[in-house]
Amino acid sequence: MNNSSKFTVKDIALIGLMVAIIEVCKAALSFLPNIELTSFWLIMFTLFFGWKVILVVPVFILIEGALYGMQLWWIMYLYIWPLLVLIAWLFRKNESAIMWAVISGIFGLCFGALCSIPYFVIGWSSGDFVSGLRSGFTWWIAGIPWDMIHCAGNFVLMLVLYHPIRTAMKKIQVAAMQ
Amino acid sequence: MKNNKKTIIGVVCLVALLAVFSVCWFAFGPKATKGAKHITVEVLNSAGEATEYQLDTDAEFLRQAMDELNAQGFSYDGTDSEYGIMVSTINGEVADYNTDGAYWSLFVNDEYGQYGADSQPVTDGDKYTWAYEYAK
Repeated sequence: MNNSSKFTVKDIALIGLMVAIIEVCKAALSFLPNIELTSFWLIMFTLFFGWKVILVVPVFILIEGALYGMQLWWIMYLYIWPLLVLIAWLFRKNESAIMWAVISGIFGLCFGALCSIPYFVIGWSSGDFVSGLRSGFTWWIAGIPWDMIHCAGNFVLMLVLYHPIRTAMKKIQVAAMQ
Repeated sequence: MKNNKKTIIGVVCLVALLAVFSVCWFAFGPKATKGAKHITVEVLNSAGEATEYQLDTDAEFLRQAMDELNAQGFSYDGTDSEYGIMVSTINGEVADYNTDGAYWSLFVNDEYGQYGADSQPVTDGDKYTWAYEYAK
């Protein structure tokens, strides 16, 4: 939206708004296991807000930690969501809804594997390298059905929402520039 | 054209990953088991009659396995203490030590057991015998 190197008051307000949208959607869909709009919004915000979205992620993670307690899952959030933002930024020139659905789907599918990293570290630190591998691998395998649901949810939500939200955001972008 | 190629590559990657994940799940995923340990529990009553029970269990100690045997008609009773349960009744037959010196003794693989029901570890393939005996 505004790709200048400094944050303006409007940028800060927008960051607050983006975090609010993510949190509201997260709460609204919390009754559906592994169906979430956080991935969708972080991708869309990265595409429209550029590198400044990097402030959205820590704010979002801090709010999540404050709401639900900073436990092991919170450590996972510290690297998983920034990774998604990085991926979205790398693919920022892509405009194909299917491609974004694929990216979001793969991210959802690999979510469990990414989350297993702390279990690998814990296993390694309390035993040896093989113990760590076994610990992380077992944790990842046990969650594969949920990763499949996450993948399907991310894929479908991105496929359905990409064009309407992109159109709406472009209108807002044009209005903001006038 | 270039974008189409990228999309196709992306879709292929997604499908390939789904296939790999599925294979991993079916190969290494948790499988429902009927109980990892197969044990035999035998009851020798005061008349010398033997009743045998087979059980597939994950029980760590014998008492839990005995509880699971309730489904097969096995029953027991006793007095709990800090040392575990002192079994006084098996399948309705009471062994009253104070009356005639009778008691229920536990054998593991036909050898006199070293533990009570609460602390006797359950090992795959083992045979546990509750025998009605009299003190000599």
